[in-house]
Amino acid sequence: MTVVDAIDWTSAGVPLLVAVGAIVVLVVDAFWPAGGWRRSGTLAIASLAAAAAWLANGGSSGAIVAGFSWVILLSALAVVLLAQVLEDDAQMPAGESGFLLLSATAGALTLAAADDFVTLVVALELLSLPSIALVAMRRDRAAAVSSAWTFFIASATATAITLMGLSLLYGVTGTLTYEGVLVGLQDDRVPERTTAVVVVLVLVGLVFKVGAVPFHLWIPDAYRGASVPVAAFLSVVSKGGALAALLVVLAYPFLPLQPRWDIFIAVVAALSMTIGNLGALAQRDVVGMLAWSSIAQGGFVLAPLVAVSLGSDDILSAPLRYLAVYAIANLTVFAVAAVGLRTLGGTSYAHYAGVARRQPLFGVALVMGLLALAGFPPAVIGLVAKYVVLQPVMLGGYAWLAVVMAFNVALGLVYYLRLVVVAFAPADRVDEGAVVTGAAVRGGRGTTIAYSVVAIGVVLLLATSVYPTLVFGPLP
Amino acid sequence: MNGLVVALALPAVAALLLVVLRDMLTDRLAAWAGVGVSVVVAMLLLVTWVGGDGDGYVAEVDLVWVRSLDLHLHLGMDGISFPLLLMTALVTALVCWALVDDPPRGDNATPGLVGLLMVVLTASIGVFAALDLVLFFVFFELALIPMWFVIARWGDPHDPVGRRTAATRFLLYTVVGSALMLVGFVTVWALAGTVQIPELAALGAQLDGGWALFAACMIALGLAVKTPVWPLHLWLPDAHAKAPTVGSVLLAAVFLKLGTYGLLRVFVAVLPGPARDLAPWLGLLGVVGIVVASLACLRQADLKRLIAYSSVGHMGFVVLGIATLTEIGIAAAVFASVAHGVVTALLFFNAGSLKRRFGTAEISVLGRGMYARMPALAVVLAFASVASLGLPGLAGFWGEMMALRGTYEAAAGADGAGLGEALAAVLLVGALLGVLLTSAYFLRVLRRTLQGVPTPHDADTDLAGSERGIAIVLVVAVLVLGLVPGLVMGVVEPSIPAILGGAR
Repeated sequence: MTVVDAIDWTSAGVPLLVAVGAIVVLVVDAFWPAGGWRRSGTLAIASLAAAAAWLANGGSSGAIVAGFSWVILLSALAVVLLAQVLEDDAQMPAGESGFLLLSATAGALTLAAADDFVTLVVALELLSLPSIALVAMRRDRAAAVSSAWTFFIASATATAITLMGLSLLYGVTGTLTYEGVLVGLQDDRVPERTTAVVVVLVLVGLVFKVGAVPFHLWIPDAYRGASVPVAAFLSVVSKGGALAALLVVLAYPFLPLQPRWDIFIAVVAALSMTIGNLGALAQRDVVGMLAWSSIAQGGFVLAPLVAVSLGSDDILSAPLRYLAVYAIANLTVFAVAAVGLRTLGGTSYAHYAGVARRQPLFGVALVMGLLALAGFPPAVIGLVAKYVVLQPVMLGGYAWLAVVMAFNVALGLVYYLRLVVVAFAPADRVDEGAVVTGAAVRGGRGTTIAYSVVAIGVVLLLATSVYPTLVFGPLP
Repeated sequence: MNGLVVALALPAVAALLLVVLRDMLTDRLAAWAGVGVSVVVAMLLLVTWVGGDGDGYVAEVDLVWVRSLDLHLHLGMDGISFPLLLMTALVTALVCWALVDDPPRGDNATPGLVGLLMVVLTASIGVFAALDLVLFFVFFELALIPMWFVIARWGDPHDPVGRRTAATRFLLYTVVGSALMLVGFVTVWALAGTVQIPELAALGAQLDGGWALFAACMIALGLAVKTPVWPLHLWLPDAHAKAPTVGSVLLAAVFLKLGTYGLLRVFVAVLPGPARDLAPWLGLLGVVGIVVASLACLRQADLKRLIAYSSVGHMGFVVLGIATLTEIGIAAAVFASVAHGVVTALLFFNAGSLKRRFGTAEISVLGRGMYARMPALAVVLAFASVASLGLPGLAGFWGEMMALRGTYEAAAGADGAGLGEALAAVLLVGALLGVLLTSAYFLRVLRRTLQGVPTPHDADTDLAGSERGIAIVLVVAVLVLGLVPGLVMGVVEPSIPAILGGAR
């Protein structure tokens, strides 16, 4: 057995192009530092576009992986545009930020496309370490450093646990390729108890990156410490990569072990959405609310995995479809938060009181984005997405999980709607003294670009709400 | 162009225009725009219905909406939905008319409020017309958030915290219920492989067994919160009492009907087997609701809360009618839904007029002898009350009578009834007791407020302007429904087999 198989350049092309872009951004910035955010953004967009072109020409190993890669690439593109809002933030150097964003994106793409467990772990680290560095970058804030430390230690622990599981897996099957593991696990001589331990240990690392309970505590901390675009990145790109890997691992090498992991996934999903929603209820800050909401949303994405073993294509694509809708909605709200931090002076709810009256685009973006996350009309697309993830759960016969999901839909609406209500507070109810204007500044060019992300998000949410096929059609 | 689709889209477009152009509109203009749109919608529905060939669904459209999920934009109306559709459009027109003379608080707030009411109209038309479960669900949810704003923003001016609490409680109850209903719909899809209501109804009794029962329980729970069925009615009294007049009227006349209509269309027709299993429970809860609500009414000090509780009782009759699974019971459910819409709208408009004058709807504050103080208002209140308690010759009578008749048939052992003979007999007695109690509490209110030595009050002014017009329209409607019930029954009866088809 060769340790290194031939590299599948078709699949590797997408993350490689992004990784090359990362290095180019870093080197160019090191030698000609005057370019700033505009140049690093342009280079990053060029490399993401190149990767997208490669992907469009068949650069992936399967339809599902291609779908996840598209979501990751386009979300990364949105984050890069959003990050332009940081243009005059001295703490966030353009070159390093662009480099780290692209590196982590390459990690997420590799995670989705991985075909053996060694690649999986390498990709997990390639995603984690730049993410941690991104969080730590806000050196002006002590909170950022402590957040990054928490993130780092939790991440390292999760990876170590996964590695331990992999060593057991190697001991049992003698290989770490997905195909070899699939064959090896069907061997009757493999002891059942060992495989149960293997499954749980290996999944820990991925569940950690998805940010599901009980490995969720780093999320609110990291989001609070990071700058807003970085938090957006963590909530969509990082989560998407981990989810893709989780889906592939469960549906492919771990398929024979389904009776071992389905209850694990169901419980993790149920706990994530419940605890995430309960945590979000107490939040009065947009980013803090989105942090907890992303934990809850992680639960909704995980839920359809319980029926993966039924094998139908619809079931495999359910998490992907939900993720795509979540990505659009979540990035739209994050874009509002990123621009709002600049133009309104902060991200607490007090800054957003009556904002819909002054900036109608923010009003529409919050209504559509938040209600899409909640799954309510007029953001019909969010409701359809909830329907999509409920389907596999009922096909798999998990009635209790479906009921838990139903209660969580109601719970989620409470806090999503709260921010909508704040944004639409009538003029006579907004106490002028209470409106925090803080260090509100008239944003520059970068703010305009980030503002356009809000507009694009609104257009996408409106269009897909009228005709959901726009987003579900291209996906497998 | 399909009249039903236009009727659905028109209020949505109007809502958008009202919000976008709100600074260019005056309060009165916005209110009249709402009246105009609603009347046009009502006429469109009427013309489309009359022009239909009466076979199957009128104005049916079936377009693929989401191919990969097999969701359709599937709309159509039949004899069950048409009376409710027409009633909804007319009540919305009256609600907007009421805003002409009674603009909501806030600077130029009418365009926004009418916009929300137009969204509610679109949503209600959508629910009554949808023939795809997911589409039904989308419209079912669409009305909730606008309604939250109506109650929380323009509700009881003296109780800002209370109205917000009431709005949130309303939202939470209905959202939990409807989310469970979505689980039920997904279960139906998992069993039958389709969400098209006509196809599901054609499957009839094939959907059976444990999972079908689970689906039926989930769907029934969601609809029971909306209807509301005792003991899931706890959101209702506060929401109705704290809402502004327009909100109370719409909640009672239209929102509750989304629940009762759902029970017919997506519960009895789609899951006839499990519906038969659950019918005795439904009937029992319906009658408990009738009795409990009328007992609660006897103790209410606030006129709006009293009317709200009386709604729970009336919905109990509707649920009882459905639970009998007899033709006359189903007919009773539709007729009583329409009649309750008209009668309760009149009651809430009246209570709203009083609250506007006195700042409260407390019966003790309203004083005595209103016949002398405000003759027109008092006569209308008396008329609405006796219509509500089911006086023969007025709208409220036929629904209750037919529901009782259906129960009696079940007690006499009619074929295919959903209630056992003994249970039906018990329920019949319970429901009759409810009828007596209903008379008692309404007569108590009339005696306390209308009769007696007049206690003049500065705020005594009789019905005027739009109040008078609305009262006349609704009084005529109550009389027509009561004297010529055949108008509605002739429309409803041909469609009953489509509902009961699988259950027979």
